[in-house]
Amino acid sequence: MLEDPSYSSVVRWGDDGESFVVLENEKFTKSILPKHFKHSNFASFVRQLNKYDFHKVRQNNEEGGSSIYGANAWEFRHPEFKANSKDSLDNIRRKAPAPRKPSNLSDDQISIQQIDLMNQQIVAQAQQIESLVQTTGQLQMNHQMVVQELLRLQKTVVNHDRVMQDVMTFLQSVDAKQRRDSKSLFAPQADGPATSTTLTPTSQNMPGSEEDVPASPLQHAAKLLNEIKPDGQFNMAGLEQMNMHTTTTPVSQDPRNAQFRGSNSATSSGSMGFVKMNPNDMDAIVYPMGSTNGIDPMYSEHINNIPYPMPSRDTQDPRAQFADTRKKSGLPDPGWRRPPRILLVEDDPTCRQIGGKFLYSFSCVVDCALDGLEAVSKMQEGIKYDMILMDIIMPNLDGVSACHIIRQFDRTPIVAMTSNIRSDDIQMYFHHGMDDVLPKPFTRKSLLDMLEKHLMHLKKMPQGMDGQQPTSGAMGASGGPSSSGQSVRDDMSAGTSPAGSSGAWNSPSQYSGVSPVNPNMHFPGIPQQQLQQQQFVDMTGNTFQTGPQTPMGMRQGVMQQQAQRRGQAEMGGGNDMGGANKRQRIYAPQQSMAAPMR
Amino acid sequence: MDEEDEREFSKSIVFGFLEQAEQTFTKMDAAMKDKNLAELSSLGHFLKGSSATLGFTKVKDECEKIQHYGHKKNETGESDEPDEDKCLRLIGESIAEAKRAYEVVNSLMKQFYAEA
Repeated sequence: MLEDPSYSSVVRWGDDGESFVVLENEKFTKSILPKHFKHSNFASFVRQLNKYDFHKVRQNNEEGGSSIYGANAWEFRHPEFKANSKDSLDNIRRKAPAPRKPSNLSDDQISIQQIDLMNQQIVAQAQQIESLVQTTGQLQMNHQMVVQELLRLQKTVVNHDRVMQDVMTFLQSVDAKQRRDSKSLFAPQADGPATSTTLTPTSQNMPGSEEDVPASPLQHAAKLLNEIKPDGQFNMAGLEQMNMHTTTTPVSQDPRNAQFRGSNSATSSGSMGFVKMNPNDMDAIVYPMGSTNGIDPMYSEHINNIPYPMPSRDTQDPRAQFADTRKKSGLPDPGWRRPPRILLVEDDPTCRQIGGKFLYSFSCVVDCALDGLEAVSKMQEGIKYDMILMDIIMPNLDGVSACHIIRQFDRTPIVAMTSNIRSDDIQMYFHHGMDDVLPKPFTRKSLLDMLEKHLMHLKKMPQGMDGQQPTSGAMGASGGPSSSGQSVRDDMSAGTSPAGSSGAWNSPSQYSGVSPVNPNMHFPGIPQQQLQQQQFVDMTGNTFQTGPQTPMGMRQGVMQQQAQRRGQAEMGGGNDMGGANKRQRIYAPQQSMAAPMR
Repeated sequence: MDEEDEREFSKSIVFGFLEQAEQTFTKMDAAMKDKNLAELSSLGHFLKGSSATLGFTKVKDECEKIQHYGHKKNETGESDEPDEDKCLRLIGESIAEAKRAYEVVNSLMKQFYAEA
């Protein structure tokens, strides 16, 4: 461009060849710059030159002041920019020439880059933080929701449990009362052979019909309760587990649970850990036997949760036997439909003896544990009790902890026996799953009240028993056969459903368990035995009577049963009005019928 | 609670208690020597339960105090008593009280069951 002669009037090499001169600023800008630099801005051209370390040659250092190229001329010079030496052009670099400025430039650029980078990072981090905050917020919300839900569930479950139990207790009391009433009305007729023969068919038909029409409101309720119970239990267990995880050592608990499940399924073949029991199973198990026996066995069943003969009976038998051999004369018999099994957990021998003594006198079968640890292991072995009386302060494992552990897998009523009955103590007991508190020192009455309160479902009408007393001598005869009848029933029921065997579970435990050791037991016909007999009949009346192969030797027993069952039989007869499923109504006509017969 | 023919039973319980009380007192004396407050408290609790069950309230009351002192509380268990020596002294008094009460019970019971 500089060498182009046509531009020489505008821009050309300087005279000495070491600089170039823009002679006519305006023309250069308008005509030459666009051709070579794609713009027409002289100022930016100068700036570019400056950047490449060209410098404007000052004109005014010469005398005379005016430039040799004219006043408007711009002369630029660069050490390496010379005419005819193109090699040196390579040395003209944008940054290299001036040492100070370029370094500044690079610093700026680096820092700019860094700033850019940092900006980007900051932005990215900000975004990350934002997203984290969002996530956290969401998690918090979720957590709160879950916790609330859990609390709500827990409350609901507890309330449900309570309501259900209240309802059941109430219904059972009503039911028991009505049956007692009806029984007392019918008992005297046991002596009349005519009535008993006429009643025989009814009573035999009755179980069948009742089986077809199982759902009295009470049974229905119990069934519902049973269906609900496993779920509720599961929830409770889960929640407790959660509590445990937050509060106490979870490690020790979980294995226990597992162990419990394992040992349970291992020891009693065919029994299932109730944990796995779903409502349907429950239903199937409970239903058949409940249909003949009324509500109470079902209820006890679902309280105990494992409806099978327990393998560990041996440990119980000696004590049970002891209980049975004790004289009961003169003691008011509370009248259980079967002897309640009580686990007495107490480290103090005096308390244990007294408590045991009282319990024996209430016709209870008592098993003892010396501390919480033993109690827990007994429970884990799968031994079933109707109630646990638990001391609080004990060596090895205190009552509250034991209760807490047992509650992981079992709902057997647990009553705290303690002298520490400050309100916050009691609060704590309940919090850990205790059902009630029996203040120490307890009296015979307070203990009995406690039993009756929690074992309502085992109560039996005493009048019916009294009515049978005269024939008790005959019991000896029926004692043997009835056990054979029992085996018959066992065979039958074992084949049909597990529920049958669950019915059987009561009698063998006291019956066959005791009789071999102490055969005389059957003959004195002591009330305890009566009780068992009764219970046996009640529990198994269905199969007993429907079984055609009942030996004649059992006749006596059957007669008694009839007497005893008459209440139910009548009920069944009255029930012909069509399985209206209203037990209350069934009773009403019965009683009116009974009155004239008396 | 006793039937005529079952006096043997209550007798066995009562004598069991008396024996147990003797042993407990022995242990208490040993714990006093060791100044083992925790042990004293638990012994107090232990004897408290059985004496309460049998209705020997005087013994029970003293045992309760021992239990509380052992926890470094005052005799009702309501406020703290940080002074261990004082607790020990009080426990010593209570043990003496309890032993006196026990002697009364002991002679009464032996008399009662001797007559019966």
